Amino acid sequence: MAADVGAAVARVIPLPVGRAIGAVQEQAADVAKRLVPFGSWTVDDWGRDATLVDAFVMASRLRWSIVVGGDQRLPARNGALIVVNARRLALAPVLAALALTDATGRPVRFVGRPDTAPLGALARRLGGLLARPDELTGALRAGELVVLGSASVIHPRRVGRVDHRLLAPSVATRTKVFPAAVATSPLGRGARLEIGNDVRPDRRRRGPLAELELADEVERRIQRLLGELGGTKTGTPLDWLPLSGMGGN
Amino acid sequence: MAGRRVLVSGMGGDLGSRVAVLLEAEPWVGSLVGIDVDPPRRRLDRAVFHRLEPGLHDRIVDIVTSFNPHVVVHIAVWEPFSRATPAVAERLTDEAATSILGAAAECRALESVVVRSGIEIYGRARGSATRPDEDAPIDPTSGYGRQLAGIERTAAAIGQRIGVAVSALRSGTVLGPHVPSPLGRLLRMPAFPFSVIADPPFAVVEDTAAARAFVVAARDQLDQPVNVVASGGITALQAARRGRRVPIPLIGPEWRFATMLSAILGAPVPDHIVEMLHRGRLADNSRMRELLGFVPEASTVEVIDRLYRWPSVVRVPARQAAA
Repeated sequence: MAADVGAAVARVIPLPVGRAIGAVQEQAADVAKRLVPFGSWTVDDWGRDATLVDAFVMASRLRWSIVVGGDQRLPARNGALIVVNARRLALAPVLAALALTDATGRPVRFVGRPDTAPLGALARRLGGLLARPDELTGALRAGELVVLGSASVIHPRRVGRVDHRLLAPSVATRTKVFPAAVATSPLGRGARLEIGNDVRPDRRRRGPLAELELADEVERRIQRLLGELGGTKTGTPLDWLPLSGMGGN
Repeated sequence: MAGRRVLVSGMGGDLGSRVAVLLEAEPWVGSLVGIDVDPPRRRLDRAVFHRLEPGLHDRIVDIVTSFNPHVVVHIAVWEPFSRATPAVAERLTDEAATSILGAAAECRALESVVVRSGIEIYGRARGSATRPDEDAPIDPTSGYGRQLAGIERTAAAIGQRIGVAVSALRSGTVLGPHVPSPLGRLLRMPAFPFSVIADPPFAVVEDTAAARAFVVAARDQLDQPVNVVASGGITALQAARRGRRVPIPLIGPEWRFATMLSAILGAPVPDHIVEMLHRGRLADNSRMRELLGFVPEASTVEVIDRLYRWPSVVRVPARQAAA
């Protein structure tokens, strides 16, 4: 009986120990609340983890200050294939997919993840697809935005070959193909992603020539975009200095 | 269309009896006959049930040919470690496919065959599609996948030979309150392993959606394969977090020990589930809406949430009080 009365009194009068425990509980609840978004990860139909992608987008801002242009050309709801130039070891498709996710607010996937754990598993969580036409077909048919890289080259202002076999799904699903140029610097933070108008083949083809001609045209258009972007440093070294009062690079 | 005779093999199991209940309510079904090694798990009003071992070919041929069905729904598939060991499951599945589908092929009235298959049929070889659709190559990499490929081969051969529509419903792992699923059992353990370096996503389907798919495929006499999976995916680690289970991170060689321990504790893990936990198992269900007219209402995550809410024992009250 005395114990019951004691417990009732303790419930009514907050004792110092109780207050301390309550404060710790509140703190813990607050921390838990902040951690909830990181503790309730879910994956979509392809295994992409939106929370992890958001974390990578935030982390990528530490390395790159990327400016995205032309993203208003992308469809708001339908699928699209965005083909970018790729520099060796620069992971341009991943960078472009993260930047476009941030810019468009839509999940953007990239083609070319490995299929070996743990890298393949991590790439899948970031929205990576295998470089297989059937995988790409499924994603485009489902109305997804997908970034495809050209073959990687060392020169930052050249475009590698675009694999026509990976353009076949866009032809089969009648999805728009957008050329895009990525310009990054290995040392600086500045980066730019410029998306061009969608590529429409001049002639209708019934066979695989459609993909081949589309790939050639996409290559040409990316090269043109790269030319328009300019390099990280253009002109003579004197032009780089802000001497004229008109800026400089 | 009305007055169709429908034969359901595997009517005793959870999925088979669920399909039978739905078929009984269909206006186009005239008479319904079921065959299985176990008695039906649900109350059936119109169906006539024959309890038979799949190896009794002559008896099965007699029953099937005398019934002369228009539609055969072949659900008699034993998933390894669901109700039988892998070796027994393979034998029973093979015998049932041979005797029941073989007998159905002798029936003059036969118009269509719907067989149970699974997305294990696509296999998870390195470099295989993450989310295969129905056109993906069949390349099973597990015992269960090879079992299912065998059924599809048998059914397709019959369809070609006698010119009837054949459809394979390639379902994800079927989960339900009464479904004897090795994956369901594993996920309901207080602790279960996951691959810490991969933790790939997989998709499942609820038994109610799978049963509905069979009924629609039988009614419409579908003549092509279709993936029957819930939308979305989930990983083993995420399932553990949602079910408040303890996830045990494993890297590689200790998997053998973990599966042995799991078997001792009552949840044996067949090779296709081990493969799923290492390589994932998703499938493209976009053709489901086009061919069957629906996609499962419950997503994979919702089915897994329900898995943890289903009671261990469900008491079904008697229709009439015993005297």
